[in-house]
Amino acid sequence: MNEFATILPVIFPIIAGAALLPVKFRNRKQREFWVLTITILNTIFALYAVYFADAGVVTIFHFSEKLSLTFHIDGLSKVFATMVSVLWVITTVYAFEYMTHEGREDQFFAFFTMTYGVVLGVAFSGNFLTMYLFYEFLTLATLPLVMHAMDNKARHAGKTYILYMMFGAALAFIGFIFIYCYGDSIEFIYGGVLIPELIKGHERTLQVVFLVAFFGFGVKAAILPFYRWLPKASVAPTPVTALLHAVAVVKAGVFAIIRLIYFSFGTEYLMGTWVQNVILIAAAITIVFGSTLALRTPHIKRRFAYSTISNLSYIIFGAALMTPAGLTAGLLHMIYHALIKITLFFTAGAILYKTHREYLYEVEGFGRLMPITFISMALTGASLAGVPPFAGFHSKWALATAAVQSSNQVAYLGIVALIISAVLTALYIFYIVVRAYFPRKREYAAGYYDHVSDPNCYMTVPLIMLTVITILIGLFPSELLVVLEKVATGIM
Amino acid sequence: MEQTILLPLLVFFPMAAAIIGYLIGRKNKEARNVWACAVTFLVFAGAVSLFGKEARYTIPDFCGLGLHFYGDGLRMVLAILTSFIWFMTTVFSKEYFALYNNRNRYYFFMLTTLGATLGVFLSADLYTTFIFFEIMSFTSFVLVIHDESKVAIHAAQTYLGIAVIGGLVTLMGLFMMYHLAGTLNIDALAEFAAATEDKKAFYGIGVLILFGFGAKAGLFPLHIWLPEAHPVAPAPASALLSCILTKAGIYGILVLSCKIFLYDANWGDFILILGTITMALGAVLAVFSIDIKRILACSSLSQIGFVTVAVGMQGLLGSHNALAAGGTILHVVNHSLLKLVLFMSAGVIYMNLHKLNLNDLRGWGKDKPLLKFIFLMGVLGITGIPLWNGYISKTLIHESIVEYIVLLQAEGLAIGYMQAIEVIFLVSGGLTIAYMTKIFVAVFVESNPHADGCHGQKKGPYMSKLSAVVLTAGALILPVMGIFPHVTADQIAEVSYHFMGAHGPDHAVHYFAWINLKGAVISVIIGGLVYFLFIRKVLMEKDPGGILVYVDRMPKWLSLEDKLYRPVLLKVLPFIGGFFARMAGSLTDGFVAALRMLIFNDDSGRVVPPEDRYFSAYTDEESDKVVYGEGFAKSLLMIGIGLAVAMLYILF
Repeated sequence: MNEFATILPVIFPIIAGAALLPVKFRNRKQREFWVLTITILNTIFALYAVYFADAGVVTIFHFSEKLSLTFHIDGLSKVFATMVSVLWVITTVYAFEYMTHEGREDQFFAFFTMTYGVVLGVAFSGNFLTMYLFYEFLTLATLPLVMHAMDNKARHAGKTYILYMMFGAALAFIGFIFIYCYGDSIEFIYGGVLIPELIKGHERTLQVVFLVAFFGFGVKAAILPFYRWLPKASVAPTPVTALLHAVAVVKAGVFAIIRLIYFSFGTEYLMGTWVQNVILIAAAITIVFGSTLALRTPHIKRRFAYSTISNLSYIIFGAALMTPAGLTAGLLHMIYHALIKITLFFTAGAILYKTHREYLYEVEGFGRLMPITFISMALTGASLAGVPPFAGFHSKWALATAAVQSSNQVAYLGIVALIISAVLTALYIFYIVVRAYFPRKREYAAGYYDHVSDPNCYMTVPLIMLTVITILIGLFPSELLVVLEKVATGIM
Repeated sequence: MEQTILLPLLVFFPMAAAIIGYLIGRKNKEARNVWACAVTFLVFAGAVSLFGKEARYTIPDFCGLGLHFYGDGLRMVLAILTSFIWFMTTVFSKEYFALYNNRNRYYFFMLTTLGATLGVFLSADLYTTFIFFEIMSFTSFVLVIHDESKVAIHAAQTYLGIAVIGGLVTLMGLFMMYHLAGTLNIDALAEFAAATEDKKAFYGIGVLILFGFGAKAGLFPLHIWLPEAHPVAPAPASALLSCILTKAGIYGILVLSCKIFLYDANWGDFILILGTITMALGAVLAVFSIDIKRILACSSLSQIGFVTVAVGMQGLLGSHNALAAGGTILHVVNHSLLKLVLFMSAGVIYMNLHKLNLNDLRGWGKDKPLLKFIFLMGVLGITGIPLWNGYISKTLIHESIVEYIVLLQAEGLAIGYMQAIEVIFLVSGGLTIAYMTKIFVAVFVESNPHADGCHGQKKGPYMSKLSAVVLTAGALILPVMGIFPHVTADQIAEVSYHFMGAHGPDHAVHYFAWINLKGAVISVIIGGLVYFLFIRKVLMEKDPGGILVYVDRMPKWLSLEDKLYRPVLLKVLPFIGGFFARMAGSLTDGFVAALRMLIFNDDSGRVVPPEDRYFSAYTDEESDKVVYGEGFAKSLLMIGIGLAVAMLYILF
């Protein structure tokens, strides 16, 4: 029974989504009812599987002695799956309203629902092969969502997206082969699975392979130089950009990197080597790089996309410290950033939906006309910039402290990157908010303020909920921290 | 040591009240004004009830490390001062804002800032200080930008920029301090620092932490925001910024100087130099300026310099620092009370005339005895005339410098340096007299050359009874504190000594002895000379109509902000950053393009700036370009296929 509970949240949305594909709904209400029912049911299944069904390792079938399709919900899965399943419901509600102006909703929600299962598949997978499988599925399931508009730029973005993803997965596959050959199993075990006797003499090779696999998964996490797909993919409908390109897909990349470092290769083997320095530096550069480009980008959604690139590398930086404190800080930032960035994308989507304005010089003076949207943006923006006592401040504090404690010289460089990026973040986020509340001109052309008002409750309620959650979780992080610390030390 | 819930209440009650006030304000504006006055009064009463006690409160786990509050002597003095000034300005706001828009927003952020400021002053560890310090910066930003005029937006941006950068540099310092000492609790840090022999590691960290606090206090070279932001804010907000928010910076400097660098001569010297520059610079800027609120803002800069000099002297004097410690806290208190009166008077002028230029204000106050009296009290206080409160604190600071010179002489060390400081101190005092006389003469003594109708005589009194009472009360405190220093000033100093690691002076200070009066007399003489020989001769000229007018002779190109900070921060650094970011971003594509050109001799491999190409692909004109034509993406596909083939070969 418990085995089934573990598998259910993964396969249920995939089957349901596939079943939705051929269905032509009569009207909006009907579609909303079915999609929402499936999503909520599956969130319940997922939370049940995470917190109540203590199933342990669930193997579905064996390909060979070592290769098998296996699910195992451990601490890391719990964190990721909880985050995803809560945010999924909120995003679905938001998408109902938003998608009305994008069209072809039947198809959209079918793929959107399928993706839910695939992401949970990544979260629940118990060995490298299973994760790799769902990781590839994730690319395929999200491709129709990215290309949803089916105009030139959407197709262009979609093609770029799939090429980058395939390349990344190919690199990651190399890592898988070596784990298969040099490890005693391909299961995820905290501390790594490599067999010391086998490695002897091949350290250098394995380090290179680790680096290759790291950058392979790094493609989804948009680490330099493989970031380009992410800003382009911001042509996708906003719920997709918000949930997939700020939470599910990119965080799946980060999740895979954490699995790779902590559960396959093991920190013992990697810590203090040149490989660690390389990935720390790559993360530090990406942090500054993303923030700088965000500051230079006037397109709001693309600005947030660059900001995502920067923030993903905060998490990778934390993970790359290879200490429990670093991983805790990284996971904390993963959760905070998920909440913050999804809200920010929702606000951008609300503006786009109501006014079709995409550039920040087009939204000057909107602040008071769209109060809920811009208050959400101001509050979560302050969190992103790390203004105390909001959420982002705490995770950055934890990251920097972890970096100092790791007493790695390269990590100090990362602190400098964090500080520079914090300045840039404050600039690029407050630039929008300040302009929105305090426009530069007194008068604008006729029609400038037409249709500028908050969207209806389908979009505002998710915004308010997310903002409140972000603030509360920022004010009271200690419970969460205890859990994350357990995860990061492998207890949970 | 008792746990007092009142302590966090002082901080969080105004914040909660801000939200309630906002909701009330949407229904009834009058009720909201009363509510705000009631809230500030309650906070004031709460703060007074804790005077002289030692209270602690800890909220564990809040915001991660938890919040720690501690109310001892100096902290409570600052808290009472804050809540008092807040109460006075809130009462005054009722009339001042009568014609303003967005009052609801003003009251909301005003009350939130009150809570945050009290949070800074009552904090027991630097983490708590920092949290509330940042909240304060952001909420007060809205107060600065309230007018939404071009000038206000410009000034507020500078303010926010400096606050953000300052805050982050301080944060960096706090990280390093936390790493070094393992705690951020102020008392624990003091113990840790006292136990450490070699202070070298602390200096760098100290400077980093000082950065943010110094920026908020307006210390040179981070003072640039202050003369811009204080004048553009509405008068009650200017008063709050000048009186209290700068003091939040001073509190941070005090924590550094009196806890971590207690009795440390090197640090004291460093602070002294910064203070001296700020003191002189503010005074000079004020002399040159012809905008009444700008003069007052530059004056704040200068007075903050006086306070900082006193803080520096504490370090230099070591354990004999009672005079300097007393001077520090008293000048903090006095300056706040003085600037409250001065800024509110300027507010009265502004709400009648909507002008701030001295030439436009000329003679307006000539026939308004009450306002003239109130302003005169402020002028006499801030210029350090005996029998007014400014004299007391300036005397103490001056005495501490003299005492140090005597100490140096006794040890046979060079005293030229300290004598130079003393001269600058007296000259700055003189300049204070000069610029305050300039305002007073212009507004209240001279008659307006265009007397007929240029002030657009408004019907009715120029200020309401309520405002008049508030201003008069504020003004009367000043001479009372100046005439009875032993009952008022000495008590305040007494409770504050502990925080600053000072022991009371060996004997009561004879404020009105000739030796102390001498300093004031010298300053008055210098002030008179500067006023009659420089301001009247050089800074005024005849306009075409033959009338003497005030002119702004400050050269524009001297602005540190427009010539250095803004260009570097807004143009140079983003350009460099953007340049390198694009370089890094196009590495892969550029590499592939270069290879195609070199190896395949492929003409289409010209290096097109990639951003342009992709972003233009988003426009409508772009034809349906084949994605495989692109360098990097195609290569990726090829690599992917190649890898797959290789993998198949390995497997079979």
